Amino acid sequence: MSLKKLLKEYTLEEIAESLMIPAKLTVKQQEQANRDLATARKKSQAALTEEQKIELDVLQLRFQLEDYLKDSYNPALNFGHFLERYLTIIHKKKKEFAQEIQIHETLLSHLVNNRREPNDSIIIRLEIHSNKIIPAIYWYKLAEKAKEHQIRTDNSLRDKERPYVTHILQMTA
Amino acid sequence: MNITEVSGQKAIPVIVQRVEPTDFKSITKKQFFFRWDQLKADADIYKLTLEDRPVILGLIALVDVPAEYRIEIKLISVSKENSGRLKKHEGIAGCLIAHAAKIALRKYYGLACVSLTPKTELRSHYIKKYGMTTAGQQVYAEYEVLRELIKTYDI
Repeated sequence: MSLKKLLKEYTLEEIAESLMIPAKLTVKQQEQANRDLATARKKSQAALTEEQKIELDVLQLRFQLEDYLKDSYNPALNFGHFLERYLTIIHKKKKEFAQEIQIHETLLSHLVNNRREPNDSIIIRLEIHSNKIIPAIYWYKLAEKAKEHQIRTDNSLRDKERPYVTHILQMTA
Repeated sequence: MNITEVSGQKAIPVIVQRVEPTDFKSITKKQFFFRWDQLKADADIYKLTLEDRPVILGLIALVDVPAEYRIEIKLISVSKENSGRLKKHEGIAGCLIAHAAKIALRKYYGLACVSLTPKTELRSHYIKKYGMTTAGQQVYAEYEVLRELIKTYDI
């Protein structure tokens, strides 16, 4: 649809909010536009700072976490595993990181070793610490994924709890 | 990813995924302003839908330019109900652009770039709203802007 036609119904601002209408360029103009872009990018593509490299690695960790959350459960890819990877990427020792998110170092060790489950405060602090690069909901879903697997497969817990249920609904055959 | 309901300012979870061949039946020019089926041979087309309902609210067409570590946005459309003064949701186009940013950063790491060649009248919108930079006919975003797009629209 042409811009002229759209302007009969919408303001330019409204069109820009909803549509990206491409400019019609000839092959020559397109080639020139690509050359202009390459020149502009050469100027802006200075070497990445150490800080930016860390951010990019944290972003890649986020993408890996995102992929895993869509994938099936893998016991090796647990909360502790991703938390430890985060610490490695940001070059922090446990003691220093525990101080930065104000939790006890022992608790952090338990989280890394999957001996404790994270509470909501820890999950939110992790989001804040990563400057929102890894959203809290990802950490939450990661912990939930393990919990879901455990609930689904823990037969010994079922055996342990059965004696406490005094009545079982009878199903018709 | 969330968009915002205009009436109650409530956040609504959405997902972006590839368009299926069967989707083109519902992607009409009346609803999405362009003939999207004409792009399917030359671009990867993604749809934004509600997380709990497969209603398409927006579309984006992307072309990968590996030699330049660049993802080019060929076209974006937000559905008619979500365009103009009476739109129901906000942030659809932003989420679609953030999706392009994610594809670029996943693939090209620190060299990633997202570019588009909008009509001259629309160029300033992408600079003002999304922090893009102008380069002749095109506007583009590199690492820091791409990161901010993800942080803003994909939290």
